[in-house]
Amino acid sequence: MIWLAWRQHRKQLLFTLIGFAALAALMIPIGLSMRHTFTDLGLPDCVREVARADVAPATAESCEAAFHRFTNRYGSLNLVAVLLLVLPMLVGLFWGAPLVAREVEHGTHRFAWTQGVGRTHWALVKFGLVVAVTVAAAVCYGLGMSWWVSPLTQAAREGRLGFIVFDLQGIAPIGYTLFAVALGIFAGTVWRRMLPAMTVTLVGFIGVRAAVAILARPHYQPARTLTFPIEGTGPMRESHGDWVLASGVRNADGKMVAADTQIMCRPGGRGPGGGACGAELGAGPGAYNWQLYQPAGRFWLFQGIETGIFVALAALLLYLAVRRIRRIA
Amino acid sequence: MEIALEAEQLGKRYGRTWALRDCSLRLPTGRIAALVGPNGAGKSTLLHLAVGLLRPDAGAVRVFGESPYGNPAVLPEIGFVAQDTPLYRDFTAAELVHLGGRMNKRWDAALARNRLAQLGIPPNLPVGKLSGGQRAQVALALALAKRPRLLLLDEPVASLDPLARREFLQSLMGSVAESETTVLLSSHLLADLERICDYLIVLHAARVQLAGPVDDLVEAHRQLIGPRHGDGPISGVAGVVRASHTARQSTLLVRTDGQAVDPEWAVHDVTLEDLILAYLADGETTVSHTAWEVPA
Repeated sequence: MIWLAWRQHRKQLLFTLIGFAALAALMIPIGLSMRHTFTDLGLPDCVREVARADVAPATAESCEAAFHRFTNRYGSLNLVAVLLLVLPMLVGLFWGAPLVAREVEHGTHRFAWTQGVGRTHWALVKFGLVVAVTVAAAVCYGLGMSWWVSPLTQAAREGRLGFIVFDLQGIAPIGYTLFAVALGIFAGTVWRRMLPAMTVTLVGFIGVRAAVAILARPHYQPARTLTFPIEGTGPMRESHGDWVLASGVRNADGKMVAADTQIMCRPGGRGPGGGACGAELGAGPGAYNWQLYQPAGRFWLFQGIETGIFVALAALLLYLAVRRIRRIA
Repeated sequence: MEIALEAEQLGKRYGRTWALRDCSLRLPTGRIAALVGPNGAGKSTLLHLAVGLLRPDAGAVRVFGESPYGNPAVLPEIGFVAQDTPLYRDFTAAELVHLGGRMNKRWDAALARNRLAQLGIPPNLPVGKLSGGQRAQVALALALAKRPRLLLLDEPVASLDPLARREFLQSLMGSVAESETTVLLSSHLLADLERICDYLIVLHAARVQLAGPVDDLVEAHRQLIGPRHGDGPISGVAGVVRASHTARQSTLLVRTDGQAVDPEWAVHDVTLEDLILAYLADGETTVSHTAWEVPA
């Protein structure tokens, strides 16, 4: 059986490896040069310094400039990172969807499933091997992207919990890739033609990923709130990698007066209209800044939960696929 | 007498349509059986049920006493060549023989190699590049290498030209003649079957119309020609299978009951082909007449 899988998919495996190697050949030099610049600009120290509460204003200012230079030079690479988000889906399309659909489309399942080993054995070996290859590729991808994208996220100081950066690195890509492959296999057992199976995989993958990221992920843990006065001496509070879900200025009674903004006046300072601080926004006495956020320290917890969800979905789909295979003639 | 394949009230439904219904038959071992019927009669369905690819919706099918669906223990006993002889087209014949060894505990690779060598099949060419006849031969060799006790062939010669068809059937006969293999082979080509089969199953409109050893069936049927006949009973006739009439004369294909036939009729022996055609001509066409909204 393993010999069959190897003989059948060796070309596909070769092309996948070539694709991976080409991608690595492109990304590793960029990553190295990015890290080189990062160190040259002294940004590792900056990251440490800026995170401290008692950072000296001069340091903060010079670091700000350095971060800015780095982002100017490499910020456009964020687009490349977005492109790489589709890699797990491609694995699902080209490894998952054809696995059963291709056999049925060519009728070869009637040959393979009537040999002595039987089709359940066939399915378990095939699925097992594809899952193993997928996990290996996804681990490389997840670790590689963590390494590659970390200067970009650190320079942008948005943390690793935000959309896209969270999805690119760590262990979550393992969950996504497994899910994509399982979805492809399952779609193949239902639609039994490659093109419909691939279409369903494409639509299903994007739909489920978006739904989980937007609807579920912000609620993996109860979000924390942070309030701070609108008058103070220090600079505006930085989020330091926290994932800010919502923010605004609230009045003393808790009523939101201005969503998606934060203000900060010097003590006794006046707003642009000459009124009290925040008066032009409708803030009365006792108004305060409000933030709803997930702390940066929950990154690995969230990664674990997200991966768990997608691995569970993948396991369910594979189980259903094995069951469905017994109904295909 | 051991039974190789047995079906009892077997039925399979696709949606609301029954592809096979109330199918009961017992195929004894050692027979070479023809499964005959027009396209869509349920031949492939019956074979797929027998090899365990399909699950019955009604009744039961047993191969050597065991239900084949979801039961890989039966698979080594069955050699199956599906319609259009599907094979991995980018595999070479030699690789397919190797593959068979990996997927079967009992595997006679030497038998397959000898056969393919004798037939002049190139071992290192992808089977997708072989002719249809050669590919069918590869598929047959792979099925035989399992040393099956029951060989199921689904329209193995349908896509072959007459010469390749004859060669295929000859080589099939040659290889099963000595072994005790039971063969069930579906076809809608009648002429080929007459030469090789000793057992006949006629499927039509999802039902078994006729099943039994060829000699018994031929012996039990007669063609009667006589004066124009109404619906009355005829002595010595158990049932009329098919009747055609001209203004003055009737031609009947009948099942005899062993008694002497009314001397008013001229009695002729029937050939297997007459018999099959008579049973196939009579089908359920009322449904389609209704569907097309034309008078039957």
